[in-house]
Amino acid sequence: MKTFVRADGPDKVTGSGRYVADLTLTGMLHAKFLYAGVAHGRISRLDVDKARAMPGVLAVMTADDVPDLRYSPVIPDRTLFATDVVRFEGEIIAAVAATTPEIASAALAAIELDITELPVVNDIEAALADDAPLVHEHWESYDVTGDTIRDRNVATFSAIEKGDVDAALAGAAHVVTGRYEADASHATPIEPRGIVAQWEGDKVTIWTSTQVPYDARDGVCETLGLPSNRVRIIVPHLGGGFGGKCGFHFEAHIAALARATKRPVKLVFSREEEFLAPDRRREGMIVDITTGLSADGDIVARKAWVGIDNGAYVADAAFFPQLAAMHIGGPYKIPAVKIDAQLIYTNRQPSGSVRAPTAPQACWAVETHTDELAAAVGLDPVEFRRRNLVRTGDEGIVGQVYDEIGLDQCLDLAVSAMGLPDLPADEAIGVAIGWWPSFAAPTGAYAKMHGDGTVQVITGAQECGTGAVMTLRDIAADELGVGVEDVQLVYQDTGAAPVGPGATGSQTLLNHGRAVESATQQIAEQLRELAADELEAAASDIVLGDGVASVAGTPTVSVPIADLAATAAGGDLLLGSASAPMPDWPSVSARCVGDQEMASWLAPQFSCHVVRVQLDADTGVARVLDVQTAHDSGTILNPIGATGQIEGGVMMGIGQALSEITHYDEAGKQKNPGLLEYKLQTIADAPTISTQFVEIYTPNAGPRGSKGLAEAPNVATAAAISNALAKLTGGPIRQLPMTPERVWEHIEAQSTGNSAEVPA
Amino acid sequence: MSTNEQAVTLEVNGIAYPVQVPMDSNLSGVLRNTVGLTGTKEGCDDCECGACMVLLDGQPVNSCSYLAVQAEGRAITTVEGLADGDELHALQRNILAAGGVQCGFCTPGMLMSARALLDRTPNPTDDEIRIGLSGNLCRCTGYAKIIAAVRETAVQL
Repeated sequence: MKTFVRADGPDKVTGSGRYVADLTLTGMLHAKFLYAGVAHGRISRLDVDKARAMPGVLAVMTADDVPDLRYSPVIPDRTLFATDVVRFEGEIIAAVAATTPEIASAALAAIELDITELPVVNDIEAALADDAPLVHEHWESYDVTGDTIRDRNVATFSAIEKGDVDAALAGAAHVVTGRYEADASHATPIEPRGIVAQWEGDKVTIWTSTQVPYDARDGVCETLGLPSNRVRIIVPHLGGGFGGKCGFHFEAHIAALARATKRPVKLVFSREEEFLAPDRRREGMIVDITTGLSADGDIVARKAWVGIDNGAYVADAAFFPQLAAMHIGGPYKIPAVKIDAQLIYTNRQPSGSVRAPTAPQACWAVETHTDELAAAVGLDPVEFRRRNLVRTGDEGIVGQVYDEIGLDQCLDLAVSAMGLPDLPADEAIGVAIGWWPSFAAPTGAYAKMHGDGTVQVITGAQECGTGAVMTLRDIAADELGVGVEDVQLVYQDTGAAPVGPGATGSQTLLNHGRAVESATQQIAEQLRELAADELEAAASDIVLGDGVASVAGTPTVSVPIADLAATAAGGDLLLGSASAPMPDWPSVSARCVGDQEMASWLAPQFSCHVVRVQLDADTGVARVLDVQTAHDSGTILNPIGATGQIEGGVMMGIGQALSEITHYDEAGKQKNPGLLEYKLQTIADAPTISTQFVEIYTPNAGPRGSKGLAEAPNVATAAAISNALAKLTGGPIRQLPMTPERVWEHIEAQSTGNSAEVPA
Repeated sequence: MSTNEQAVTLEVNGIAYPVQVPMDSNLSGVLRNTVGLTGTKEGCDDCECGACMVLLDGQPVNSCSYLAVQAEGRAITTVEGLADGDELHALQRNILAAGGVQCGFCTPGMLMSARALLDRTPNPTDDEIRIGLSGNLCRCTGYAKIIAAVRETAVQL
């Protein structure tokens, strides 16, 4: 593979690159949304007449102005606009399009809205109470799909059951129980989302900051009743997503405004809206774990319950219980397992896929618990993990038998890279391991070689910053034997490219990479046939590389690829189009209840993070000084991009561990929807981060033996920090994030002999 | 011209732009929407993210929270003014080579803060780099490659 060249780089460093907020179209109007502003209530009055009559206001839309239907995958519980009941503060009541943003804001203020407040279901435990109000009064009427188990405020339920857990616990030499509670956090891309929609006849083009152009298109088509070929989604440069810009959000509202006004319409979110309105919050979680151990330190049984705060609408979260259950089991050999997991409706902002959904919190819980297990049997935490983790050929918690995997090597590499430094009394080292699946999805790609030998690859892939789309150039160049600079990408445009999952689930290289590989291989085959004629050799003997086609073993017998392309341009054109063949899914033997097609994990990725943490015990302020990571993500095709994913994921994990928390008031509203009060890690907080890859060629996965990568680095960091802090404070802090206040309270509680319960 | 608008001349990257702006317009909005230079980004409108960082007479300023009319008579430098024609500034080359650009949304502001830092501290320590860029949030990179790029630029310049 050639040196990585970031094709979008010059655009991004010179300011010439356009993001959605940078787009202006002639006659463009400005949109704003009116939000409910209360977490639970019934609309008693909504009058938009005064707003509609204002000069400069061209449209005010409510639920009355769009098709009456519920949408969302698996559990269609959502409408574009609130109809009767509002279920979280960011629910959209009305949308305005006006000639200036200021007039649009004034129109919002002129809308007359009365909401009769209803009792707020403000957290997981409130939602599960016997007399809890229902977040969705008519939940039974929703037209759900799949093996989806629901009950009142429990939106979905999944379980993993293997062996006789109660008997195994009864026979265990040690039993350790713990509760762990994680608060909600946010994806927080630096670019607030933007959308511009413009109609031409009966077709609409929507420029939007989505990670998933095809999901955005499908959402518009479904909610506005449009056929797929009349909606074109184009994403200019995307200013980060981290899952927050996955799914279908507000594109239909803006398209509807543009249709009503016969004008292009633009929406750009404020930072506050970015915190309050999307259905992609990282979910809060409560975890109860009981684990049984043999006298030697083998895990013999695990029983657990996971409660996940879904918020008001399910969005894409139906599979979260199954995913969380996998993490609570962890990448360990456990013969007897019973893990129940519930996705629970509350009157909070909806949860949805944020980078490695459920994993950082669940890994934090289970890996904190794992250090407690090691202590119970008197083993070193690393030795305890070595004893219990899954290796090549082992059977994991669902009975999936793993092909060649490198978890044990990850642990050894990261631990030995940290070494055993002499630590001052205020520092400690913590270790955690994690895992994450690779997601395969139907994906296509087109490729064409022009008459001058240059190449265009047309892919539905979405570049959200990772560089994974940029890496597709390298694959194409490698297959065709041309320089990377001779390959141009057409991407993030549903009007041009075949379908694909986009930037979600670490799928870009895994899926779009396989499709590009297949499409360019078709052209390579054509080139070999042409070269075979030209060189009087067998096509199977032709090698493509360095811009020439040559005979294997006789490199002097060659023809420039550009010459072959010129020949083809006068006859059979050099075109490739392919859908990537789907990999085979591994089988499982455990009973997986409420299966959302997540029971077995294709090409699982593994990691170990080791952190060195310093604590100021007087203030509770913790600082991460150094992080050593090792990852098994199969073959690494783009080392700079890959280490960039690790470093960014670790930094996000540090934020989740120490500072990123969404506070709610008693009325169910966010108290800190801004970057001053919701603290991201800055460059001043950044530790040194070192990364090693265990490169195992993984068949039945991505191109060239690769697996996914972008989410895996976000899994284990908070857990490792927790284990370091437990050493420094006399025991685990059972709340995430481990803010200075909580750490300080924990230290105080330990020193006064009280329990470790600390206030929120 | 309405009474709350004012005619001002803004000198941006060495070019004078006569513009009419509302008195309460912030500089980032005028640069983006009136002058037409969208390289300066807006991420929070609250001085928290640093994506809107520009230089005023060489000093880094969050242009989201600075009135456009106050910038008259001062030399404004945006990310579009960093390169010398088609020749990228060393910071631009090095941040690309190091892998310090991912989504790119924080990059313009980050580059402007780095430029100001190197102008006043040509050979910064790592701690000085961290302090100099601590007003610029990046969610993608974990910062390590950005620090490396600034360090490398200091060696080259």
